[in-house]
Amino acid sequence: MELRKLKQLIQLVQASGIAELEISAGSEQIRITRTVAGTPTVPAQLLPAPLAVVAPASATAAPAAAPSPSANPNTVKSPMVGSFYRRPSPQASAFVEVGQPVKVGDTLCIIEAMKLMNEIEADRAGVLKAILVEEGQPVEFGEPLFVIE
Amino acid sequence: MSEQYAFAVLRALSDGRFHSGEAIAQQLGVSRTLVWQAVHAIENDFGLTVYSVRGQGYKLAEGFEWLDVAAIRAGLSPVAAEALTVAVAERIDSTNSQLMQHATSSDLHGLVLAAELQSAGRGRLGRRWQARLGAGLTFSLLWRFDKGLAGLAGLSLAVGVALARALRALGAPVMLKWPNDVLLDGKKLAGILIELSGEAMGPAAVVIGIGLNLQSPGEVDQPVAALDQAGVRVGRNALLAALLNELQQVLDAFAKQGFAAVREEWLALSAHRDSPVRLSFSHGEPIEGIARGVADDGALEVETAAGMQRFHVGEVSLRPLS
Repeated sequence: MELRKLKQLIQLVQASGIAELEISAGSEQIRITRTVAGTPTVPAQLLPAPLAVVAPASATAAPAAAPSPSANPNTVKSPMVGSFYRRPSPQASAFVEVGQPVKVGDTLCIIEAMKLMNEIEADRAGVLKAILVEEGQPVEFGEPLFVIE
Repeated sequence: MSEQYAFAVLRALSDGRFHSGEAIAQQLGVSRTLVWQAVHAIENDFGLTVYSVRGQGYKLAEGFEWLDVAAIRAGLSPVAAEALTVAVAERIDSTNSQLMQHATSSDLHGLVLAAELQSAGRGRLGRRWQARLGAGLTFSLLWRFDKGLAGLAGLSLAVGVALARALRALGAPVMLKWPNDVLLDGKKLAGILIELSGEAMGPAAVVIGIGLNLQSPGEVDQPVAALDQAGVRVGRNALLAALLNELQQVLDAFAKQGFAAVREEWLALSAHRDSPVRLSFSHGEPIEGIARGVADDGALEVETAAGMQRFHVGEVSLRPLS
């Protein structure tokens, strides 16, 4: 067993409140067990990553000023056919709002196709200038979704 | 405080037999009062019925097989045992969320995470996956593919095929509703939610979340089925192993040949092939037609008044013949 893999697994056990974990690779077997209730344990880190904080007033769809978004080099395009969702669940706040700064790797939206939920991440940093599609709307491959400048 | 012990006491009671408060207290090294409090937590927080009989002790109304890594591994095929790392959590927010976090922060592959209780189990688009403790099986599987997002189309149908294979072998005559609801007698027996992260061109990390009812989950917001209705009595550990064996095979085949590897099998399992269906969308008017088949990327093919159309999104409902 690689030491690196073992380390990753121990981290998993520590972070997620997993009771026991057993791995076998060929003839090797490793068992990682947490102590059962009765003795204090590391508190499980169950909180999801914090979502977007500030929602500016102008959170509407694409501004009329945006000229032909598909030609804009600053658009984020859909990598697949599916439905567009700006929030992880109907009650949750949106991943991002117009006017908000975004970093590379920030989740912008979810595209769902056939119950495959694909988190679309920002491929560049900047300020979110426009959201080009509506919640729940079907999108095509390569369709522009966001403008980040 | 007592809730911390609730799971330990529940585990002691899970065999469905009588256990004296004293014996449990001794076994866990706690006071009898604490055991008594834990029993209350089991009833109030987990919604389970515990019989308390003077002179005999406590007994869970319906015992269930506690998830156990060694028992799960014992049921795995040699290939699956080699490919999979199995982990069990007692109480967790969501097995999918936890594995998604590790999808990006590690390079683990073939990691299975099963849980007794999910406090925030998720279905599609934040709908809650509702399960009564011990009555169902919920787990997630982290898998990595060399292909990019486009190559993963059809994966959720392929996962449905894997579940159907295992469940049919156990004696439950399940069918599949596009894209991947597992139906028993036309009602939902199992749900699949797949989350993925990765680049458009690959590689991609995929977390497959599966929830399945062994017994009725109680009050839920849609008609559901449970395995025991089909007369299938199977331990939760053996069931998980059986599902994992098929998943490992199907995912390996999918990595090589994509959905084409199991497309014919999916069609044979389809609950609505050549039947009149209505397809509804979050935007726009529903579409009616005859469900014909599925394309190589998993898209549903519907014969409509406007000819044959393919759909990647939509909610299928069977409609009666007019």
